[in-house]
Amino acid sequence: MTDDDALCLDGNGLAGLLAEVFGGDPTGAHRSCPSCGLRSALGEHRAYCGAGVALRCPGCGALALRIGIAGERRVLAMTGVLVVDVGAG
Amino acid sequence: MAPRIAWRVATVRAVVEETPHARSLVFEVPGWPGHRAGQHVDVRLTAEDGYQAERSYSIASAPEDPDVVLTVERIDDGEVSPYLTEEVRAGDQLELRGPIGGHFTWRAEQGGPLLLVGGGSGLVPLMAMLRHHAARGSDADARLLLSAGREEDVLYRDELGRLESAAVHITLTRGAPPGWTGWTRRVDAEMLRAVGPAPSAAVRAFVCGPTPFVEAAADHMLALGHAPAAIHTERFGPTGG
Amino acid sequence: MPLISRGFGGRRRRDVDPARVPPGQYVVDDFPVLSAGPTPRTSIADWSLTIEGAVDAPRTWSWDQLQALPQETFTTDIHCVTKWSKFDTTWAGVSLDVLLDEVSTEAAYLTAWCDGDYTTNLALEDVTDGRAWIAHTFDGTPLDPEHGGPARLLVPHLYLWKSAKWVRRLILTEDDEPGFWESVGYHNHGDPWREERYWGD
Repeated sequence: MTDDDALCLDGNGLAGLLAEVFGGDPTGAHRSCPSCGLRSALGEHRAYCGAGVALRCPGCGALALRIGIAGERRVLAMTGVLVVDVGAG
Repeated sequence: MAPRIAWRVATVRAVVEETPHARSLVFEVPGWPGHRAGQHVDVRLTAEDGYQAERSYSIASAPEDPDVVLTVERIDDGEVSPYLTEEVRAGDQLELRGPIGGHFTWRAEQGGPLLLVGGGSGLVPLMAMLRHHAARGSDADARLLLSAGREEDVLYRDELGRLESAAVHITLTRGAPPGWTGWTRRVDAEMLRAVGPAPSAAVRAFVCGPTPFVEAAADHMLALGHAPAAIHTERFGPTGG
Repeated sequence: MPLISRGFGGRRRRDVDPARVPPGQYVVDDFPVLSAGPTPRTSIADWSLTIEGAVDAPRTWSWDQLQALPQETFTTDIHCVTKWSKFDTTWAGVSLDVLLDEVSTEAAYLTAWCDGDYTTNLALEDVTDGRAWIAHTFDGTPLDPEHGGPARLLVPHLYLWKSAKWVRRLILTEDDEPGFWESVGYHNHGDPWREERYWGD
């Protein structure tokens, strides 16, 4: 296990912030990592808090999402493919 | 895009001293949309000069409870937890956003068998699941393995002692009282095997606590043969305080 | 205005000279650790700093070579865009003026590239004339990895996200190229005294 100093939980812990961007809770959505191929839930991505928030692939650490927390605005940059199941319930 | 999760005013209805270091806050939240066991809320505090702090806390109450209950453990030198565990009193107000989190939740309809593994205050969302399980009269096999420092640190100690709907196992890692017959070491594979159920039972497992605890417990469960998809984890990291 | 919670004060210092506090900031006594990724662990043996890009010839310094350059020790306040400020921090390092003296360039900008792939962009005029350093010592001891050690860029007159931790390359560029945070909402320049936190400020 690595010693991650600025780790601020995982995507689950940031669900409130993510919900602001996605308009709903995306922590169950799955992302395929273009760097290592791992498919994992956003909630399982490792979160790092800097000026904004960076979410990284839990498998290889590659940058997955960046979220700028810019006052009343949120700015999102993302790599990889995100799959959101919007079925009933 | 308008956010669908808004800040709501929450009023403290009651304060419950759980342990020497932890307290439950019982909130009235008008318009609360309901939640699932395992979810959390973001709490926002604003000082008179506008300074703000936000923290996340797991909901301790079952969805069946009309109040929203949070259990907060005091972290020395923390900024928010000393306020919530020492200053806050009935009638005070703060802001809550939620419920948040769909990944670490359990509904009685999902059934079991349920294996809950908690470290310290990682018990809080698991307690919501146990309270929900009891409130619904679920017949799902439910087992809790809790790791705590000393007996006095065990949250909801009396309630866990009276719980008939789930098997409760506790390990105390920093010293046990006289006559203690339970475990006195960190959670390991042998302990998890003893608690069960076996991986062949297609267990629904929820692991919560400090990050190192969660990662070690999850690794042990994988080594025992539990499927990765069966293990849900929630890490309490170094934020908060 | 959000709801005020009775009795909540937070942990910031109140006994500060307001003239030293940029707008919207509060003063802390600890040193919060913020990052965009896990802490890199580069040994001094493996460390080097390179100035490259729109220069006559790239220039690289090993750790020993950096230490052999003229060193400065200085005390300054630092300001993070997440609103905390820390006063009277003491650093030691090499002025960027000394390093940039070794290259010839017509470029007006640079991108700092770091272990862990973090980047930030700066105008040359913001990192010259004694306004920026490669800092390797904080408070008299070697800079902790979690705070950017072995060495970080330090540009204290701008928000701290511009003081790139774990800096390894300074890439001179003709055009200004927004870095890691500048690409997702953060101000391109970042002057705390003008409260240049986000795009459009």
